[in-house]
Parts: sequence; C-alpha cells; structure tokens
Amino acid sequence: MVSDPYLGKYTTCISARSTDREILKKAQDGGIATTLMVYALEEGIIDGVIVAGEGDLPWKPRPFVAMSRKDILKAQKAKYNISPQISWIKEATRSFGLDKVGVTGVCCQIQAVRKAQLYPINMRDVPGKIAFVVGLFCMENFLYDSIQAIVEDHTNQSLSSVKKMRIGKGKFQVYTERGNVATAPLQATHKYGQPGCYVCLDYVSNLGDISTGSVGSPDGWSTVFVRTRVGNDIWSKAVDAGLFETKPIEEVKPGLELVMKLAKIKLDGNRKTLEERRNFGVNKALRDPYA
Amino acid sequence: MTKVVEISPTTRHEGHSKLTLKVNDQGIVERGDWLSITPVRGIEKLAIGKTMEQVPKIASRVCGICPIPHTLASIEAMEASIGCEIPTDVKLLRVILHAANRLHSHALHNILILPDFYIPGTETKINPFSKEQPLRSVAVRIFRIREIAQTIIAVAGGEAIHPSNPRVGGMYRNVSPRAKQKMADLAKEGLVLAHEQMEFMLEVIRNMQNRGFTDVAGKEIPIPRNLGYHNQGVMATAPMYGSSSLDEKPMWDFARWKDTRPWDWYMGEVTIDLEDPSYPIGGTTKVGTKANPRMEACNTVPTYDGQPVEVGPRARLATFKNFTEKGTFAQHIARQLEYPNCFYTILKCLDNLDTSGKVLADHIPQGDGSMGWAANEAPRGTDVHIARVKDGRVLWYEMLVPTTWNLPTCSRALTGAPWQIAEMVVRAYDPCVACATHMIVTDEENRIVAKKLLQW
Repeated sequence: MVSDPYLGKYTTCISARSTDREILKKAQDGGIATTLMVYALEEGIIDGVIVAGEGDLPWKPRPFVAMSRKDILKAQKAKYNISPQISWIKEATRSFGLDKVGVTGVCCQIQAVRKAQLYPINMRDVPGKIAFVVGLFCMENFLYDSIQAIVEDHTNQSLSSVKKMRIGKGKFQVYTERGNVATAPLQATHKYGQPGCYVCLDYVSNLGDISTGSVGSPDGWSTVFVRTRVGNDIWSKAVDAGLFETKPIEEVKPGLELVMKLAKIKLDGNRKTLEERRNFGVNKALRDPYA
Repeated sequence: MTKVVEISPTTRHEGHSKLTLKVNDQGIVERGDWLSITPVRGIEKLAIGKTMEQVPKIASRVCGICPIPHTLASIEAMEASIGCEIPTDVKLLRVILHAANRLHSHALHNILILPDFYIPGTETKINPFSKEQPLRSVAVRIFRIREIAQTIIAVAGGEAIHPSNPRVGGMYRNVSPRAKQKMADLAKEGLVLAHEQMEFMLEVIRNMQNRGFTDVAGKEIPIPRNLGYHNQGVMATAPMYGSSSLDEKPMWDFARWKDTRPWDWYMGEVTIDLEDPSYPIGGTTKVGTKANPRMEACNTVPTYDGQPVEVGPRARLATFKNFTEKGTFAQHIARQLEYPNCFYTILKCLDNLDTSGKVLADHIPQGDGSMGWAANEAPRGTDVHIARVKDGRVLWYEMLVPTTWNLPTCSRALTGAPWQIAEMVVRAYDPCVACATHMIVTDEENRIVAKKLLQW
C-alpha cells in the first residue's frame, strides 16, 4: 500500500486500456470506467450504476441510473460541465430497486459517496448498498454556460458539431465530427472555472475504489490507481478475464511524474485559496469545510 | 367506596398518555378515562394557507409508525377537493405501500404486547428481547417481517418513514422491473413468515383467553371474560385500503361525523386517593395529586352518529367479514388475522402493475374551495382527512385519526377491568397517541377550553 500526500492511498498504479473495441471507439481515453462498470454489471458485482448520460442540450450531461451495457455506453466521453451524479444515489436503492449500486464521478462526487456511507444524513439504506465506485481525475469543472462560452466563442465551434473535448498540454481542445480541431489556451478558460473547484484538495479521486484519468499515459491509454480491497478484487479479475491491456506506469511516458506535478499544482494552489478564505474579510473569515 | 388511581405515563404504545381510573373496593374500574397528554402540535391550524403539495408532507410527520396513512389520506383529501383522478398504476403503488405499512406496524405491535402474554402452557411471560428459545426465533421473525415491509415501502414509496414518492395527482416515479421483482420476492418470503407469526400470536392470545388470571408485579390479577367490552359499535371504510369522496359509493359519511370536546366525554376534577408504588416499574401517581381529564386531554372526541366508535382491525373485520367476537382479545386476534392478506394484496397489485405505466395525472386542477375527504384504513383504523383547496392552497384542513376515535371508546371499555390490567385493554387498541394529538381546538365554544389550558 502506497500512501502519497498528493495521489492518495493505492496498492498499484498502471497504465491501461480496454480490449473492447466497441468501448474504445467512443472512449475519452482508455475506456477504463466504461469497461469496469460493464464488467461489474455482467459479473453481478453491481446491478446498476450512476453515470453521466446525455442531457437535453448538446454536451450537457444528465446523470441517470444505467442498468444495462447499452445504457452504460451512452455515458462515454468527458463532458466538461457539472453533472450532479449523487442526486440519484438514494433513488437507485428505491424505485430502481438496486441492491448493489455502482457510482462513477469525479473526486468530489466520490467524497460525497464516502461521506454518505459513514454519515448517512437522510440517506437510509445507502451505506450498505454502495458496491463499486470508480473515480475520475479532475482538475476543475465548468458550468454549462461556461462551456458554451469556451466552445462557441473561444474555439469558435458549434456545440452540436463537437465530437470530443479534451484538456491537455495547456489547451482546451475541441474536435468536430467533420474532422476540424480547434483549441483555446487554458489561460483564457480560467475565469470560467466553477468557483467551488478552487477549494478542492483532491486530483486523482483519492477515495475511489479505482480511479482513472488520462494524465500520465499516452493518448488512448489511461492511468489507473487501484485503491481498495473492492477495487483490487474487481481489477485483478477483469485483467485475468482479458479486459485490459496493461503496462507498468514506470514504463510509460510521461508517467507518474506528470500526474504528481499536476496534483501538486492543484492541491497547493487550492490550499492557498483556502488559506485566503480565513482572512477574507476584516476580522472575519469565509467558512472552511475542512476545519 | 370509589377510589381514584392513575397510571401516568402508560407504556408500550406510541406517544404519551395516561389512565385516570375510578375503581371500586375490589379495584375494578367503574369509570375510566384514557387520555392523551401529548403536547398539541397543531398541524391542522398551521396547514392553512400552505400549498396542497406541502401539507401532506407535514401531515406525514404526525407519526413515524404510520406516516403512510397520513401521507396518503392527506394527498387523497387534496385530490378529492380539487377533483383529480389518478392513473391506475398510481393506485396500485399506493396500495402496495399501504399494505406494507400495515404489516410493519402490526409486527411492531407484536413486540409491544408480547410482554403482557405467556408462553402457552407455562407461567413464563414473554420477553421478546430474550436470547432464549423459542422467543429468539419469534423476535427474529418479527424483525424480518418488518425489514421486508419497510423495504417494500421504501421501494414503492421512496422512503420507509415519511414516503417521498406520493404527490398530489399521483407519484413521482414508477418502479423499475427489477424493483417490481424485488418486491415480489420479498412478499413471497414474507408471506410464509406472516403465516407463522399469525399462528404463533393466535396461539398465545387463545392461551391468554383461557387463563383465569395474570401476574402483575407479583400479584394475581383476575382476567374477566368480558375484558374490554363496550357498546360503542365500530366504524370502517374498507377491509384494506380506504375510500374518498371521489368514489362512486363513498364508504364514510361526512354528515354522520361531529367533532366534540373532551369536556363532553371525560371526567371532571378528581383527586388521586389510591396509590400502588409496586406497579411496574415506578408505581402509580402519588396520593393527593389532582387530575382533570376534561381539561388535560389533548385530544378532541370525534363522534359518528353522536357517539364515539371503535376503529381498527376488529372494526374492519366486523364490518366486512362478519367477525363477531369483541373485547380486548378479539381485537388482538383480528389484528393478527390481517397479516396474510397484506402480502396477498401486495402480490396481487404487483401482478397488475405496469412498470412503464404513467404515474401522474395529465391535469391537476388547482381547486375551487370545495370540500373533499379521504379515508385511509391505517393499521389502527380509519384515518379521515378533510380538506378544502382553492388555487392550490389549503383553506381548511381536518384530520380524524384512528386513535382519536378510539380514545373515548377505549375509556368506556375500561369498565369492569381490574385497574392493574387497564393498560392491557389500552394496548389492544394499538394506540398511536402522537397520531391522536395533532389538532387544536377550532370553534368559538372550544376556544374557551384552550384558554383555560393555557392559563395552567
């Protein structure tokens, strides 16, 4: 068990990608989250999972409870705006009748799951019914209006023709269905960031059973942290079943070093924001949820 | 010579109440008053002006054992007032919810009454928390029945305590096919347990009926054959679910109901002059204490044809199944007899439930101030809510809750009982005193009573 101040606790870290061609076709990176949840569903480890599906507007996610492979695949690809995943966590155990709930989400949403498990406040039945949690790496998130401004103004693309969005190498990248690629410097997007993200002290979903993200691995591959006993059990079985190609993280470029570097930037920067909140007013402060 | 003894508080039922009893030289109750001393929360008054969506959620909080009847009766009273017809699958989900709530409530009541009863053929009273057999298996069975029932409520109703799914005009959500299967599996498991539990309870109750006496604090107390008999009659609106003013043939008659004050039905001031410090556990009220049920009762007295009536499982069986026994043990028996039908009802509703059916009325009128009522056959009896809704807001609201009906009826049924087992008579009504105490005096005349109370 590694216990890293920036990357959290984990047993192993690998670079991996799915061997499922259908999943890879539409995956943001290595198709890890989709493949894991489909596998867990097919193996009966979960009987449903909260995913970020398609919403009413292009690239606006809508969380829903997926109970089939087909539905899980509908939630592929990163949508860089808020999807309130946890709004379904109780309902999944109610009208959906689930006994083993899977959850996908970014760091803060995984924190919410763990908090509900330990301090269930009007969250009856939830603690015992969370079966598998996959967390995504997350630097910061945007509101839908922000993503509209970035895509439609800064990169000058129409949202309904966008095939994929990515943040990497200092740029917000937009790929269109017709093959066009447009970018905006990340610097320009900063003012659109969701303010709540600036107090977040978690980059690689420290509290997930398994966490995964693009940073550290080559394009088309994902960096995967296997963290808990549940995560370890599912990961090793899935690898044995031939669901993933894997490489030791030490053998890929840019590797763990870049993950570490970005985690440091996020955490150290946000620690500073938290510190500033303590002296925000004259002789008074703004609240600190970590206090 | 008549003496007055008082048991305060009473135990092993929901809420806060007491028994003020006039007894003869043999300690037999001549005239007893069982009254709520739970503080009035005034749900009916504070409902006025609030939206018709909100009031049922507040009404639910009247009671955590039977929140489902209050939610459903309240919502359906609103629907009756505004004239909103709900889709079939809504009705099915509500009945499932309702039947499951009755199951968990009856099973919980088993835990509360069993300590009054004996293991058949022995002189050992039943401690449901005992680790000894056969009691342990009985407790485990009760817990499982309740767990099953609460799970079904949570799935169909959104939440086991204070269901979130029902709304004016229908439900928020239908259930998934998986959830439907889960409820059916649970109901099938529960049905077997419920049959076992019913047989066990019936044996225990029949054994009690054949005993001549029971032990209270080391003393042999005779059990009269006619324990808990009264001549107040019964009232029920359905064997399972209920009725409302939207029905073609409503099963409750608004015109026969009249709300009255405790003043008309309870004793005036008395002084306690009989005390038994050995009454388990902690003794009875001190000699010299003054009591005044007329003034202290926090319940009103709803009447049907000018008299208090009995509601509950026995009332339902007597009304719809020609059940002829009466008194304390008959009430217990009738309650156990309701077990299997709840599960059969759930299974039947699930068979008919279309999980892709719509669960919200297309049109929800906002109301013109017409009066509408809905009666829900709660575990403890007929729970009638009456409302007037105009422009989406509640103009007037009234709740006639089972234990409110039963309080004065049970008081009359105390006559003839040795005072030491008066509580056994009370428990056969499965009292829910918080339910009974939610109102505040309304009209001019009654306001005087309220003022007097406030001066205390």
